[in-house]
Amino acid sequence: MPETEKEKLQDKERAGAAVEHPEQVPGRLPVPSDDESSRNFFGEPLVGFDPHEITGTLIVIEGMDGSGRSTQISLLQEWLESEGFAVQTSGLRRSTLVGRDIDELLAKNAVTRLTLALMYCTDFFDQLEHRIVPALKSGTIVLADRYIFTLIARSVVRGINRDYLSGLYAMALRPHLTFWLNVRPETAFGREFRKAQAISYWEAGRDMSLSHDLYWSFIRYQTMIKREFEAFAKRHDFLELDGEAPVSTVNKLLRQRIAEQLGIRATKYTPSSALAHLWR
Amino acid sequence: MMENPESSAKQTRPEAVKSTLPQPGRPVPNRAYPGALIVVEGTDGSGKSTQLYLLKRWLEIGGYRLHFTEWNSSPLVKSATRRGKQRRLLTPSTFSLLHAADFADRCERQIMPLLQGDYLVLADRYIYTAFARDGARGCPEKWLRNLYRFAPVPDITFYFRAPLDVAVQRILSGRPKLKYYEAGMDLGLSYDRPESFRLFQARIMDGYDKMVESDNFVVLDGTLPVNRLQRQMREIVASKIDLKRFAPRAAEAE
Repeated sequence: MPETEKEKLQDKERAGAAVEHPEQVPGRLPVPSDDESSRNFFGEPLVGFDPHEITGTLIVIEGMDGSGRSTQISLLQEWLESEGFAVQTSGLRRSTLVGRDIDELLAKNAVTRLTLALMYCTDFFDQLEHRIVPALKSGTIVLADRYIFTLIARSVVRGINRDYLSGLYAMALRPHLTFWLNVRPETAFGREFRKAQAISYWEAGRDMSLSHDLYWSFIRYQTMIKREFEAFAKRHDFLELDGEAPVSTVNKLLRQRIAEQLGIRATKYTPSSALAHLWR
Repeated sequence: MMENPESSAKQTRPEAVKSTLPQPGRPVPNRAYPGALIVVEGTDGSGKSTQLYLLKRWLEIGGYRLHFTEWNSSPLVKSATRRGKQRRLLTPSTFSLLHAADFADRCERQIMPLLQGDYLVLADRYIYTAFARDGARGCPEKWLRNLYRFAPVPDITFYFRAPLDVAVQRILSGRPKLKYYEAGMDLGLSYDRPESFRLFQARIMDGYDKMVESDNFVVLDGTLPVNRLQRQMREIVASKIDLKRFAPRAAEAE
């Protein structure tokens, strides 16, 4: 960088202007290139890991709270098992290492944003190394209820540098398929409220002081997250689905695309009586 | 136009120490802070903790404003670290991330606020411990450097260097049994714990040696007598840091 430009930038920073770094674009995570490790990872390869050992399929379902992710994952698991595939699920805060610790931190609300981001990152890598990768090595299909995109988006809207976050998750495995169940925050609010007759502190982004009104806090927070997702969707070939469509319609589209990925015929599926209540 | 007396008073302050590393948040006006940060690094048994303790006593007795912080000591992450070590759940990546979370907690809640508040902060081990140790476990250097780039750059980093045999002997003679991760057993270097520890420490020492130039370490000889080493350390601190600024208010007025 020429000296004068550098000085200008420093001046700006000194003045406290909220300058995003020039190359900081939303959705920034390296896209795959020809080199092998970039096809399998977002950056650096995982320590001591050989991508050739992977025979399973990693399928990610992303979407905001109330977008129907967990419903679809239950249905997909049943469908895939009926087709004879071994299935494993993963999701946030489910690691043996720190899953419960994060729950406690969230309940006590005694944690700063960077520490929380790093705890979630630890949780992610513990699951990746101890559950997801071993499952993929044994030919299992892993259905991930959210992935690094949610984690990055949540931290970005809280002001943590994008490049920092994409560096943090550089060793994450690139999914074979990433679906995004897109819903309007207004719809999500209603669905979430009906679930628990309440909206949680973190779902509404209350820590960000966006509004004292719970509804507006939720809408503004989820809209910010959604904007991050729109940027990710373009760069990382998200398969976007209308999360407001009926459950059966969304499920059919998911099954079609997954069947294509697995090289099987998209068969008919109706949920068993145990899951029939989800099929609205 | 009338000068604001407060702002002109601020301008006459000595120039604040700047962090040369980018901060994780957007650049904010308080990137620079008035406090000062002194760090000690070195392998286990290099004598660094003893020396930092003596430096702390010297400053405490003199009444200086200071805060002492230790690696891996945040209560927030303690239970997870304990569980991970007991059940041997930790991999190179999660070992590294958990320590980074611990450091982030201390950084956000103690180190940064105190540096902003014009304190002298003394740290027993800092991010270079992670670079050397996690690097020895195989974490990519680029990834590690990014992981800790929110950390303020120390004003002085003392690196206590003692020959491997001396350092290893100091630890082995004082400890009944080395712990699993402490001995680097997870690296599979040897089934014999003391031997594994030795090989692991050798790698860590290599990691430190590589950072001497790039990270401006002040190298001290850990085999010197304690009091001579302490005299050296105090002289360097006094020459590099304007200690008067951290002195008690009454002394400042004199």
